[in-house]
Amino acid sequence: MGIVIAAAVIGVALLTVLGMASGARESRSSLAGWLVNRRNMGPWLVWFLLGTEIYTAFTFQGLAGYAYAKGGPVFYNVALNDVAYSLGFMILPLIWILGKRFRYVTQADFVAGRYQSRALGMFVALTTAIIMIAYIDLNITGLGAIFHVISHSRLSVMWSDILGFFVLATAVYVGGIRGNAWQSVVKDVFMIVALGALFLVFPYHEFHGFGPMFRDFGKDLGPVMTLPGKTKNFGLLWLVTTVLMTGMGQWMWPQWFGVAYTARSPRSLKIQAVFMPLYQLVKVAVIIVGFGALLVLGTHQNGNDVIVILARRLLSTPFFAFFVVAAIFAALVPAGPIIMTSASLLAKNVWAEHRPQSDRRIYRATKLLVFPLTFLALFLALGAPSLLVAILLVAYDFIAQLFPAIVIGGLFWRGATKYGAFWGMVAGWAADAALLLSGHGVVGGMNAGFAALILNGAVFMIVSLATSKRISPAEHQHFAVLYETHEDPARTV
Amino acid sequence: MRTAMRNWLVGVGLVAGLYLLGPVIYFNRVYPFILGMPAIIFWYALVPVLTPVILGTLYLTDRAQNPKGDE
Repeated sequence: MGIVIAAAVIGVALLTVLGMASGARESRSSLAGWLVNRRNMGPWLVWFLLGTEIYTAFTFQGLAGYAYAKGGPVFYNVALNDVAYSLGFMILPLIWILGKRFRYVTQADFVAGRYQSRALGMFVALTTAIIMIAYIDLNITGLGAIFHVISHSRLSVMWSDILGFFVLATAVYVGGIRGNAWQSVVKDVFMIVALGALFLVFPYHEFHGFGPMFRDFGKDLGPVMTLPGKTKNFGLLWLVTTVLMTGMGQWMWPQWFGVAYTARSPRSLKIQAVFMPLYQLVKVAVIIVGFGALLVLGTHQNGNDVIVILARRLLSTPFFAFFVVAAIFAALVPAGPIIMTSASLLAKNVWAEHRPQSDRRIYRATKLLVFPLTFLALFLALGAPSLLVAILLVAYDFIAQLFPAIVIGGLFWRGATKYGAFWGMVAGWAADAALLLSGHGVVGGMNAGFAALILNGAVFMIVSLATSKRISPAEHQHFAVLYETHEDPARTV
Repeated sequence: MRTAMRNWLVGVGLVAGLYLLGPVIYFNRVYPFILGMPAIIFWYALVPVLTPVILGTLYLTDRAQNPKGDE
């Protein structure tokens, strides 16, 4: 195991140095520069950047773990991103046009501009920054699971998570602000090679090939692979409502919403929507390995650990070392933008909005927030340890509540008001909290987050209609940019 | 604009429909095996390949409507 640990240490060190090399330039150009200057990426760079940010520790470990622990319901996750890409095909270009016209650089800027309310912008910045902590938690838990397995359980889950926290916070603080292009490319290539190798080796090593493996699946797993699988109530209605809710939620994550502002043109965003779905095949491969783990490892393992355990079992030591490095990169590289987006929302859209600050001070505050935010995520990881997907699903329940305010009110319905947006979100989050804390993740066969989203949408409409007044000139301007100056927003460049 | 929006909604409907109605109507089952795979795995391996085709078609219609579009 010495070689694996050595490879992991060297890998993390090299990745951090790579981040530092570009970070030095970035820190001179300050936060605003860092966020805005990047409205110049072509489709392929956007593709890599998005691929890096969307396919994380969770893809590596969480999906196999979920397939292993729950069975068929895991397929929701294959559908989720593709539904989101098809939605993003139009939503992201529209957001881009508004961002370019009004110089928005964050999601909170967009909300504040659309509803002409700085208070609502601050509210959204604060709440989303908190929800994002769950996403940071995901990457700490992912790193922790790797350390737990490579130490042969000598490191307890708790200490593995704590080590994960230190590695993550230090790497982000010292090295990466936004994962630079090279970090992204290295991470994506490593991840695809590592998972591809495991996917090809696994059936031949354990089952004499794909055909026999699937036959064994049919014989020994049977209905486990379908819905509701090993769960009691994750049936077909759950699948439909979960995919719709999470599909609408995906672009509401501030770090991905922000990707709309990095593209050179709306066309870049449309092209990447066409090709992003190909990444989903990696997920399908991971799910198949996760099912197979049930037959090979029995049912007593911790779900998060299974893919690393399988890699340890099947791959020779040098390849396993490579696999571990790839898995660590998959957690570290995406975490940079997530932590930094959360920190910059707090620094720029809450603190500096409250009391104006120079860019330099905002940038410094952003970096200082890295440790406390990551520490909060660690706290969450230790306090509520669970499967990676469970964390992700709960986080989606909350983030998806932004959809009515941002997409319906922000892009399509000019009658929406800030009161409608605010009370809709509050109602959605209150419903989420009430249902989840009382253990009702599924209500009437539906995903709780979806039920909350329906309530949110209803409150959003009713309050908006009740408080509607003459639409202000600034709000008129907002929609005029989309719908009146040109007959097609895709042309407005 | 209106056509672009309509085409987009059709695209979203197709992608979501394949993913969600597929299992609701038929594919939430293990047998029959298709191309050597259990039916549900086959379906969730097929649709990720169809999605780029659907969105690619959407992209081409979109571009045909805005031939002078950016870049």
